[in-house]
Amino acid sequence: MQYSPENVMPFGPIHPSLKEPEYFKLILDSGKIKEVIPRIGYVHRGIERAAQDRTWVKNIYLFERICGICSFAHSLGYTQGVEILTHFEVPRRAKYLRTIVAELERIHSHFLWLGLVGHWAGFDTLFMWVWKDREHILDLEEAITGNRIHKSYVAIGGVRKDLPDGLRETLLKELVFIEKRARYYSELVQSEETLSIRTKGVGGLTQDTARRLCPVGPLLRSTGIARDIRVEDPYAAYDELIPQVQSSTDGDIACLMTIRLNEVLDSCRVIRDAVDKLPSGPVRNPVPRVVPSGESCQHVEAPRGELFYFVRSEGKSGPARVKLRTPTLANIMTAIEMLKGRPIADVPIVLTGMDPCFGCMDRVSVVDLNKSAQWSLTGEQLRQYGIEYYRRHE
Amino acid sequence: MSEEAKAVGGRLGAVVETLMGCSVLQVDPAKVKEACAAVSSLPGYYHLTTIAAADRGDRIEITYFFWRGRAFLVVRTTVPKTDPTLDSISGILPGATLYEAEIQDLFGVTFTGSPYTGKRLLLPDSYPADAPPPFRTEADPEKIRKLMKLE
Repeated sequence: MQYSPENVMPFGPIHPSLKEPEYFKLILDSGKIKEVIPRIGYVHRGIERAAQDRTWVKNIYLFERICGICSFAHSLGYTQGVEILTHFEVPRRAKYLRTIVAELERIHSHFLWLGLVGHWAGFDTLFMWVWKDREHILDLEEAITGNRIHKSYVAIGGVRKDLPDGLRETLLKELVFIEKRARYYSELVQSEETLSIRTKGVGGLTQDTARRLCPVGPLLRSTGIARDIRVEDPYAAYDELIPQVQSSTDGDIACLMTIRLNEVLDSCRVIRDAVDKLPSGPVRNPVPRVVPSGESCQHVEAPRGELFYFVRSEGKSGPARVKLRTPTLANIMTAIEMLKGRPIADVPIVLTGMDPCFGCMDRVSVVDLNKSAQWSLTGEQLRQYGIEYYRRHE
Repeated sequence: MSEEAKAVGGRLGAVVETLMGCSVLQVDPAKVKEACAAVSSLPGYYHLTTIAAADRGDRIEITYFFWRGRAFLVVRTTVPKTDPTLDSISGILPGATLYEAEIQDLFGVTFTGSPYTGKRLLLPDSYPADAPPPFRTEADPEKIRKLMKLE
């Protein structure tokens, strides 16, 4: 079908609701989105290819730099793939420590996301509160691993360092604070009118759509398909510290907030459980520099969902091939489906809703070829447009 | 090796083996679509985790990972570099669309029936048409850099 040119709205590649460049061509019909055509790759750095020229150990630090939010999940997925090939067992204490850091990462990622949803819904107070609370988690991560963002904590055969002396008490104290805040936010997102207007019924993802498009993480669980890799295919210490899978059947942005906040509360429980049951012993086993020939596939439940690593060794000092699939790539097709039938005002909040990892600059270009005119909306203008749109349509 | 994999493999005349702790169906390129349709319709295997490609000398290896529980059910095939063409499975599983488009860009495999046929997803428009796809072993980053006038 041919669309008339006046209905085409290019969204990106530099656009306001994301932290990195991305391009969506929006086909509009009477102001509603009819079709979305994605074009990605603006920040593709060829990391998979670069990994083939690096050693097994150097690649840990390369892969964790794929993402500043779920950096630990990347290094864990890759390292677990390598450990399978080496046939070396990871000490139990290291598995517990990996679980603690993975869950801390989940909490700070979900808080970051909630703040962004608040911002795009016109509720900046929520954004500032949540991001302030998130600092507590980043401080904890720094205390445990030495770094806030790129933690470099995982080592092949275990973790790089043990839990520092005296940190157990600090950790437990901070968890009480985080749980208190997460409970408050849970009540807030269900009762606050601004958020309800902007998020309830926005998305409308169904189980049938999810089965066709294969989304992952909270987006999948928002349709009632309660799949979580930590439970179905446990890794680290998740076979002993079993998380509760959080799901809903609403399929909208509102239920994504509830799911993620419930996951924050459950992560606090898992961390407390891990600290209580933390086994004694070493945190790292020695492994050989050369990994035997073979191939492995591993997936971990990153905060955004399933993160997959395929690793092939040909018995050399580095991998012959590493293929990874991030949760965002799996979720793009689903976000597109969620946008169909929605007004332009919903674009930022729906794209933010899938918790994408390709990012945000500060303008969107709107082209009206029929009038031979072109103008731009800054990020703030698009945000205001969304707020005004919902004020008019209340 | 799972009984389900053996049954699907038997129907398609595919070799079934255990690799990576998973059942792997080694299928002929012409039967990839049929194999993926059969696997994705097995109970619980509706989730396609990804499609991975690798350069294996004079052939490109394509691997489809379907996940259920504690293991993947894997469909694998290879296509020659001289005719890197496969049937797209995006018609039966739309979730595969971007995975196929990624392989098309990076390894030069054409997926017949994909909405991205003839279009680019990842590579810039300025990527030289006569240069090999960037993830093939014969691709020389320095030459491509010069062709793209990035020096």
